[in-house]
Amino acid sequence: MIPLPSRTFLNVPRSLRVGALLLLTALPVAAQETDPCFKLDQPTKYPVESIIDSARTLGLPWMPLRSQVCEGIAKTKGDGKRILAALRDHFNRLKLAQTTLGAVSDDELEAAATVLKVAKPSQLVAFRERQKGRSDLEAFTVWTDLITRGVPSEDAFIAISKLWRDGADDATFRSLWKDVQADISQGLNPGAALQNRVREAPVRATAKPPQPEGQKENQSSR
Amino acid sequence: MNERKVANLVVAAALLVPGSRGLAAQIVSKIEAGQYSVSDGVLPLSALRVAPTVQFDFPHASFMARGSAFLSEQALQLADGIVSGTFTSPTVYGVRAEMIGNASRAMDDRSLGNDQVDVQTRVHLLFHQHGGVWLGGGVARPWRVAVVSSADVTDAGVWTKIGDATRKLGIATFTATFTNFSFTKIASVHDNASASLSCATGTPTANLSMRPLFNETVGPGACERQSRFGDLEGQLHWDLGALELTAQAGHRFGDSYDVTADSRRWSSARATLWLNERIAFVGGGGRQPALPLRGIPARTFAMAGFELAYWPLSKNSVPVSLPHTALVKSFEYRAGNSGLQRITIRVGGVETVDVMGDFSDWSPLTLVRHGRDTWELSIPMSAGTHQINVRVDGGAWMAPPNMPTMRDSFGGEVGLMVIAPDKATH
Repeated sequence: MIPLPSRTFLNVPRSLRVGALLLLTALPVAAQETDPCFKLDQPTKYPVESIIDSARTLGLPWMPLRSQVCEGIAKTKGDGKRILAALRDHFNRLKLAQTTLGAVSDDELEAAATVLKVAKPSQLVAFRERQKGRSDLEAFTVWTDLITRGVPSEDAFIAISKLWRDGADDATFRSLWKDVQADISQGLNPGAALQNRVREAPVRATAKPPQPEGQKENQSSR
Repeated sequence: MNERKVANLVVAAALLVPGSRGLAAQIVSKIEAGQYSVSDGVLPLSALRVAPTVQFDFPHASFMARGSAFLSEQALQLADGIVSGTFTSPTVYGVRAEMIGNASRAMDDRSLGNDQVDVQTRVHLLFHQHGGVWLGGGVARPWRVAVVSSADVTDAGVWTKIGDATRKLGIATFTATFTNFSFTKIASVHDNASASLSCATGTPTANLSMRPLFNETVGPGACERQSRFGDLEGQLHWDLGALELTAQAGHRFGDSYDVTADSRRWSSARATLWLNERIAFVGGGGRQPALPLRGIPARTFAMAGFELAYWPLSKNSVPVSLPHTALVKSFEYRAGNSGLQRITIRVGGVETVDVMGDFSDWSPLTLVRHGRDTWELSIPMSAGTHQINVRVDGGAWMAPPNMPTMRDSFGGEVGLMVIAPDKATH
């Protein structure tokens, strides 16, 4: 009995396969053509597309870069030079964050790139080691805000990295931010406000993720 | 329950039911119900009045329908109704154009009902969004009244707005308008003092513009007369926390053939006390001048009742824009139904609130007003850090209050929202 050919991609005629591949390759380009974030003048459009393609190639999250272009269009009425400068800066920060933090999620990489707007790259190294499942989004957001509000960069780094090392959870960072913001709005010096609050901050440690069964057995057998 | 009552109930319920969210257009509505008393006219001396209003607001247009009915002798009697459309141009160098069209019916008495269609254009000049002037003109065509021509209506006004919602004294808006009406009407053979007038040999002031009219409806001896009068009115709207006060006073200019003595001067006031976000006690009274174009006499009125406003109407008295973030009292976001994030902003005394951010590709999204000063929007958001800006009344984009912020790459500031993976839209 002759076996029936299985219905796989390889059974499709070669011409159709080539056509499908070409179509798939062309889709991102076509998408960029209709994307409102790419409605730019020609001298800006080409470098913008190159930067976003480079991000894709390097495995960097490219959606934040696209969003940066949209933001520029909305806020500068399409000023190509300013948009391009902001995009290049963002791209470089993403690359730097990836180099420093290694394999982290796209969200965390973007949050780290945001911190790098106000912090030094060397300071980011302190956040490289992390408990599995622990997110640094809240820590990075609070860190960025503190510096924006006038806390000296070094003070903000020391406070946030200490809390991070102590295993502080998101609620601890949020509550620190609220307290410092309240003190600053009362007229306290931003740096002093942070130092006072960090001294008082009760660290709520992040709940450790459940360990695998095998690991538990190993620990108990020791 | 007869069909008419059922229909009334359905309309009333429809005005209060929330519609779809996140649209470019907003639906706003209110129902006012209470005791209404008038000193004269064909309306009952005291009656329960129900006044529903529904409005669709688009960025540069709004459509509104309003009506009022009196419950008299166990039956609802329609008093008036209006359908209105307003188109506004974007503001360029502080100048904004506006076109308004209205179709209305006044039915204070079934035998005296009349209709009117009017179109008006205005040009507003805004001064740093704290004040402005406007100049307008248009045409009104009434039917079934003693007016036999279209009326030319020209108006001019000036306004200023002071204070803000965060201050103890709130926001006060002062408006002064002058409106001139010019039309041909069928004049009575007697003037306001009941002195006889002859169409052929009228008094020196009147005979220039009067000509005899022999009309089967009016009968011999009536005259067609060119009428002209002007209304000067001042208005104060004071938004004082939970209390809103509106007071106006006016004077009518014109000769005694066009302006009755009881319409020379008028004043009225209205207070709205918000008991919670959606229910307000409303009370007021005063004197309203006659509306010759509509055949409505001057009257003294008093009213007290409640306003139920799920989505309150914009005041829209003047094209006010006050781009202050200080106005924004609070900003919150939390996971809502279906994984959407519900953004809630509390800001009083403004007409529109927009947000934009990476979640909207930096396109403005207009929030829907709920209650008196609460604005809401539900939008899908992925897990992670999101950047957000907010603006009120089309002003400058700002970072929302009560949340972490950072400088953006374009000289402004953005708020940072952190959405946890378990609360994000998947």
